Amino acid sequence: MTQDHIIEMLLAFIAADDDQPDTKARASEDAFNEVALQLFAYQFENNKPFRQFSVQRGRTPRTARSWRDIPAVPINAFKELTLSCCPPEDAARVFMTSGTTLGGVRGKSYHPTLSVYDASMTRGFKQYFMPDRDRIDMGILFPTETIMPNSSLAHYLALALAHFGTSDSGYMMQDDGIAYNRLFATLDQAQMSGTPYAMLGASYSFVPLLDEMKRRGLSFALPEGSRMFDTGGFKGQSRELGLDEFYDQLAAGFGVPREKCINMYGMTELSTQFYDRGNAICPSVKSGPHWIRSRVINPLTGEDVPFGETGVLVHCDLAHFNIVSTILTEDAGVETEDGFRLLGRADGAEAKGCSMAVEEFLKAAQA
Amino acid sequence: MTERAGYLPGLTDDEVDWQILRFGGADAPLEVAVPVLTDAQMQAMAERVRVASRDHLKTLTISQIIDIIDRAVARLLDRKDPYRRKAEEILPIVTGYDAEMIRLGLTGYLKTFRKPELQKFTVEDFANPLILDDFQPMPKGGFARAFGPDILTHIWAGNVPGIPVWSLVSGLLVKAGNIGKVPSAEPLFAGWFAQVLSEVAPEIADCFAVVWWKGGDTAREEALLKESDVVLAYGGNGSLSAIRDRVPVTTRYLAYGHKVSFGAISRAALDTQKAADTAHQAAYDVVRYDQQGCYSPHVFFVERNGRISPQDFAQYLAHELETFEKKYPRRALSIGEARDMATWRHGEEIKSFASKNRGLIGNADSAWSVAFVDDTEDLSPSGLNRTIKIVAVDALADIVPRIAPYKALLQTVGIAAPPAELYALSTALGIAGVTRISAIGHMTAPEAGWHHDGRFNLLDLVSITEIERSAEAAADTLAPYAD
Repeated sequence: MTQDHIIEMLLAFIAADDDQPDTKARASEDAFNEVALQLFAYQFENNKPFRQFSVQRGRTPRTARSWRDIPAVPINAFKELTLSCCPPEDAARVFMTSGTTLGGVRGKSYHPTLSVYDASMTRGFKQYFMPDRDRIDMGILFPTETIMPNSSLAHYLALALAHFGTSDSGYMMQDDGIAYNRLFATLDQAQMSGTPYAMLGASYSFVPLLDEMKRRGLSFALPEGSRMFDTGGFKGQSRELGLDEFYDQLAAGFGVPREKCINMYGMTELSTQFYDRGNAICPSVKSGPHWIRSRVINPLTGEDVPFGETGVLVHCDLAHFNIVSTILTEDAGVETEDGFRLLGRADGAEAKGCSMAVEEFLKAAQA
Repeated sequence: MTERAGYLPGLTDDEVDWQILRFGGADAPLEVAVPVLTDAQMQAMAERVRVASRDHLKTLTISQIIDIIDRAVARLLDRKDPYRRKAEEILPIVTGYDAEMIRLGLTGYLKTFRKPELQKFTVEDFANPLILDDFQPMPKGGFARAFGPDILTHIWAGNVPGIPVWSLVSGLLVKAGNIGKVPSAEPLFAGWFAQVLSEVAPEIADCFAVVWWKGGDTAREEALLKESDVVLAYGGNGSLSAIRDRVPVTTRYLAYGHKVSFGAISRAALDTQKAADTAHQAAYDVVRYDQQGCYSPHVFFVERNGRISPQDFAQYLAHELETFEKKYPRRALSIGEARDMATWRHGEEIKSFASKNRGLIGNADSAWSVAFVDDTEDLSPSGLNRTIKIVAVDALADIVPRIAPYKALLQTVGIAAPPAELYALSTALGIAGVTRISAIGHMTAPEAGWHHDGRFNLLDLVSITEIERSAEAAADTLAPYAD
């Protein structure tokens, strides 16, 4: 199959009607498998390091019967290997991880075109964040794509703004961070006019905002239909907040109930995102659209853990076609009836004794 | 089954709040009740320990104290003693380590606290141990005496059994009042040791206490820190620096951080006869406590051009690890530990695709992994839990630049090399920051009286009071017999 065929197939698959939008009832297993296995064959043929990896694991397109048989590539491999079916220099866009670990080496995802990424993002976003309306007044608490051309989140939020924002929407940022005065004036305006408002940003962007509101003694009661969107956790960029504490503060600060505070779980190593149905209860259950599926495995054996037990998440994202579709994350999770509960990076990084673990070593060695 | 942790002189069980920690699987569930003291209780206990250590411990001679510790250790070495039996039965459940490994480990470790060892331990730091009992003449003139703190606070971490004993014994030897905080990962052994001490020497039963609080409970921690004269803390750099911020500036703070250790194997140890034994010893260092110790190896640097190549040595080591797995199976891993181990293993596997000088031995079902690198490679931590890397070098001296960036993090190096090489290399390693050199196979069993992380473990705890010559001379002029 050529790249064009793949793209065509995927765009059709993403656009296909899916009667029941929730995870359990996504495209039938058979339809998903068919695309996943074709994609596996394509990547196996065109992506040499991935082929080596698959052979090493004893998994080839000839033996794979289901998407579950496709070997999951650990996300660290994105730092060590050039994983791309097209020549990397032909990529229209390269998204990179933030590079905070592993000595600053950044994982790269090469995209020969963003058409599939964009189709995946817009359909998923509609389904999970905008099921009830086409557009909304939006404020974005994250830099633009121009400032961060290698950030998949910057691109994601630009798409959100372009496809789902009204003309009154925009970035609430200035050179030194959040444009507080402009943002607070806009929120006042929304509150007075009764027009629903959506605030979107990295989770860590909200922490200084909440601090600033506290300092100024401000809180808002945004109109019904307003919603919040956060993603990515705190990653040492801001002070760490517990999930309950975080959503309580969002709810109190903006008058948006916790069930309207949506958290998106995405990664540079994916082209599709997971969402929850609000955060009334944490940790929430995450699910994704019909072209992504997840397993919960024991990372050492690669086998599924029994239903309901904690393991590490593997995602098979058909939209991530040029790189590898099936990745092994470092995130712990538990499978549920309608998705998975994301538990974040499993602890254990610190040894039980006085031996030094990799993460601490890197931190200490950099200091 | 419920077991109570801690040792709380002056408090009955009913007066204290207890929290339950759960250990073990469905087949052997274990509840450990840990004490949660109020600020007032903590303060009262500190006062009790302070007074008792002044009235009782500080009036004993160093040799009397050594006798007491020796009697307590003798009981714990006696496999029929109820506390020893409890340790053998319960510690494997709490820590997950293999029962036989714990039994051998306890004996090997406790042996280093018998009377002769304690005597050696003391003279390591005090040329004349009587300085702990009375003013002693000094070479420079005058007299000096060493005083232990009234309250020495220990904040222990981790689950390697018995580690708190070493720190508590150090405190007793300098006649300190001791209050130790046990970690949630292994909250029991320190309390049992305190209990045994109080049984063999009831007169000092109030001179020490073993407490607990939940990690991060800064209020509880501060209540004790402000009562302390010296604070000894173990743990990761993050928690150590958090504790440091709360220790009053006038209180001495001694921090023992996490460390990285490694091995160095000369080609002299790699002939066809010796290589198998070297690999056996090396594997033993990896297997003991599943690399959780600061002295556990993460890498073995192995010389090229021996009869056995570094690559073959990696195979030997893999074979030994597989054999040990049958004898001392690795403990069950948490999902986080499995993730870390998998991350390390996948990382090595992926690097091996890009280079024919790298390899990984052991499949997904193995409880161990050996990575092999025939290339320039820095020291780096393993994925723990029986993951080890063999790095080939032309000469052992080539190791030095590979470890240089990590000076503050180094501890033990296990060396298999002929004498001339041993001493030459040791000098370079000492300069690079290494503080302990042992034989391969002995990395995880430091000898009695070792200088943990290069420090004087007893000397660091005391203050010296000196009577200068001028005072002596001036006193003479005031003596009733003065002319």
